[in-house]
Amino acid sequence: MAEAARLAEAVDLLPVGALPPGTLDALAARLSRRVELACHVLPPRELPLRRIPNRDQIDANALLEALEARATSDSRLLVGVAGEDIAVPLFTFVFGLARQGGRACVVSLARTDPSFYGLPPDPALRDERAVAEVLHEMGHLATLEHCPDRGCLMSFAGNIERVDTRGPRFCPSCAERLPHWLRGTTPPGDRV
Amino acid sequence: MRILIVDDETIVRDSLAAWFRQDGHQVDAAEGGKEALRLVNSSRYDMAFLDIKMPGMDGLELQTRLAAADPELSIVLMTAYASVETAVKAMKDGAYDYIVKPFDPDDLSMLVKRAAEHRSLRAENVRLRKSLDSQAAPPPLLGASPAMQHVVDLVATVSASDSTVLITGESGTGKEVVARAIHAASPRRYNPMVVVNCGALPEGILESELFGHEAGAFTGARARHKGKFESAEGGTVFLDEIGEVSPKVQVELLRVLEEKVVTRLGGTTPVPVDFRIISATNRDLQAAVKEGSFREDLYWRLNVVHVHIPPLRERPEDVPVLAEQFLAKFAQSMSRKPMRFSPEALDALAAYPWPGNVRELQNAIERAVVVGRNEVVRAEDLPLRVTQAPAGGPGPGSLAEAERAHVLSVLEASGWNITRAARVLDVDRVTLYNKIKKYELKKPERAG
Repeated sequence: MAEAARLAEAVDLLPVGALPPGTLDALAARLSRRVELACHVLPPRELPLRRIPNRDQIDANALLEALEARATSDSRLLVGVAGEDIAVPLFTFVFGLARQGGRACVVSLARTDPSFYGLPPDPALRDERAVAEVLHEMGHLATLEHCPDRGCLMSFAGNIERVDTRGPRFCPSCAERLPHWLRGTTPPGDRV
Repeated sequence: MRILIVDDETIVRDSLAAWFRQDGHQVDAAEGGKEALRLVNSSRYDMAFLDIKMPGMDGLELQTRLAAADPELSIVLMTAYASVETAVKAMKDGAYDYIVKPFDPDDLSMLVKRAAEHRSLRAENVRLRKSLDSQAAPPPLLGASPAMQHVVDLVATVSASDSTVLITGESGTGKEVVARAIHAASPRRYNPMVVVNCGALPEGILESELFGHEAGAFTGARARHKGKFESAEGGTVFLDEIGEVSPKVQVELLRVLEEKVVTRLGGTTPVPVDFRIISATNRDLQAAVKEGSFREDLYWRLNVVHVHIPPLRERPEDVPVLAEQFLAKFAQSMSRKPMRFSPEALDALAAYPWPGNVRELQNAIERAVVVGRNEVVRAEDLPLRVTQAPAGGPGPGSLAEAERAHVLSVLEASGWNITRAARVLDVDRVTLYNKIKKYELKKPERAG
């Protein structure tokens, strides 16, 4: 499985539930600037969305299982993008979820949008944070654990402030363990 | 961190385990108390997360049993139902923390990080205390004589108490060493031991040193200065040469001892202080009381326990024991091979009355190690006063010639280290420089 992530040739973005038009295209465009892989947006498909009882949140564990069942190609990674808030029952929320060495991951845009925190909506900031989250989950697909370096993209972020402060790069130690298509990315601030 | 998760729900065990593994922790899981106890008894864990509501043994009972099995384990209790009573009970029983499901990811991450830091600090604290114990340990009180054994026993007994101790004995018998041994074995050992040489300071300065002063209390008192009693907070104040204290300072000392407060010079606010007093003197304080130069009430305050150290001449059986100890110490500090005494040197050491007591013996052995050329200390390596007559044939004629030769040999033996040579010769550095000048001694120039 880890080898599949290493040998990936493309990333497929699959909408989970309803998303505003153009959201995934914008996200795919941003993501393709950060990974050396083709990024495609898949048409919406029926997914069994289980909700956590008494909480207005999608069960991320169940969703990830469903995505992994659909990630049948050895050379393509599948990223589910939810507009709604996601969580695992034991935690109040998660920004994203992946199993180390898997071929699919899921991220939510709900908490990357400033409007979640009572601020004016900012689609560009929302997508930049979401891309960082996708890259973090892809790090897990490439078998990486959380990194103790708080400036590394693989460090754990339990709130949006940490998502913003941990920075857009992998630390040299994590980068060394990443597949080439994920390693050679250029954060937007670094572009000339 | 090695983490143990105990929960009867598979989903909780799996989710938490996956979460902690992503953070690089080693994780084991158990679905009940019995299995958890078996794991803790067979492996070492840093942290355990216990669900409170479990069939059979609940989390609170398991907490008690796990803590008994491994008191170092940081235990966190988890529940889906927040209850203040349960939380209070868990914390009272020593739980590290208490969290309510579902967990905020950030809170959980911080909790584990804090626990790791807490464990690391605790481990460092233990390590530092051990290191402090070994580094701060005073030299052992050595002696084969019954008199010294009595001192050792008394020190062991008095250390456990907080009583004031008066140590008497001739100069050089090791009164400060005994004071340090008492402090080091007392419950105050992790707090300072502050030494005040009462005989070395004029009355005004001694007052300021002992009780402190406020800014402007006297000319030159530019800033507030804490006195020795305040500096020794929680520890021991050792008042050396207590017999030399003036009547005025005696009154002030008595008040501090009775009221356990000090008022800084120039100040008006009494400051509470917590200390133990050990004092020492080579004078006969009882005689001083009789002749009226030392206050009787202060004498009895200081003299709750009396430790008398007999002079070395009254316990000759201690001389070889101490000499061997000093020889090993100086040989090691001067990076020499292990050394021993020749029978003649031991005879000379035993025959000499040691008027300067242990301090004189220590200096004599240090000199012998500096002067001695091989692993055996010969009689002629000891000071002349110890051996009475220098060995190795007739020496130089006049006293001045003998002094010149002796000073030169010590300087050469110490590699012209003035401080060390002065200590061996038992003179101060200025005196030694004067001798070097007087006898026109010159340090040989190094070739190359």
